[in-house]
Amino acid sequence: MELSSLILHNKWVLEIFYALLISSVCLIIFAKADRFFRLSSHQGIRYFRNAFFFYGIAFLVRYLFGVFSDFSFDFSEVLRVSFEYFLIMAGFFLLYSLVWKKFEFSEKDSSMFNGRIMIFHAIALVVAILDNLWGTYYFMFASQIIVFMCASLIACVNSIRNEKTHKFLSSYFIAMLLGLTAWILNFLVALFFNWRHFVLLDIGIINAIFFILFLYGVIKITKNGNKKT
Amino acid sequence: MATKKRERLDVIRDILNTVRENRQIKPTRLLYASNLSPQMFKEYVSELLSKKFIKLEIDGKEKKFFSLDKKGQSFLQEYKVIESFIENFGL
Repeated sequence: MELSSLILHNKWVLEIFYALLISSVCLIIFAKADRFFRLSSHQGIRYFRNAFFFYGIAFLVRYLFGVFSDFSFDFSEVLRVSFEYFLIMAGFFLLYSLVWKKFEFSEKDSSMFNGRIMIFHAIALVVAILDNLWGTYYFMFASQIIVFMCASLIACVNSIRNEKTHKFLSSYFIAMLLGLTAWILNFLVALFFNWRHFVLLDIGIINAIFFILFLYGVIKITKNGNKKT
Repeated sequence: MATKKRERLDVIRDILNTVRENRQIKPTRLLYASNLSPQMFKEYVSELLSKKFIKLEIDGKEKKFFSLDKKGQSFLQEYKVIESFIENFGL
């Protein structure tokens, strides 16, 4: 009980700490992926890098959102739309990094503003604005549940096909399942549990594991690069 | 399509390995060693030159040679890491 009241009373401090932690994890993953992209010009790495760039920005915005919303600045609505937009874009980039080979034939396109990515920008913006108009997060939850269902399915197939040679693929699949679980729980807690704090805390932990699993994979692969991971 | 990008990275690795093994190599010899069409070879070489993976040198007799640049060396050193990264993240 004491722990619960401590958490509730320091909610915004915890949120800021959480947002900064996730942003830092994303920044490390982004930096590693960016280095590999600059050497290889590989489009998959490029979209993977973009995903963590957008996740990092989203959580930085969330940090600002946490600070400003507590002090009731009007600015908080802009931050809320931005947070949703960056988060949705990150999900799209993560999924696209798994399927880009089926859609792209030229590596000379911009990875941020080519025709296909512009569709993602438009969807993300519409979803964020609709959620803001309705005062909910349901559109974002629905879009991300669909994205993570597709990503989980692809990760599962990749894992079954190549698990023996590339062991991190099974962890990648687990990360995707965790991401999917977090989005489904988010949806349920908003719909049925009236944003109950302790379910939100569990979702926060699942999300943190999702990002740390990616960081673990990046560090492990970078370290054991000359062996097969 | 699935193997196209892999092949591209492999071609770059092969070209850079050939340049490294020879220290200095004439464009024609590199073309033969790379097993590419002249058009493809031209595209790869201009990409490698623009990225500063290789450099073009001209000796006293006005003969052209390619040699490995620092970025090319780091690509070769990190090639396995990059390959492993792509495969383990299903990219």
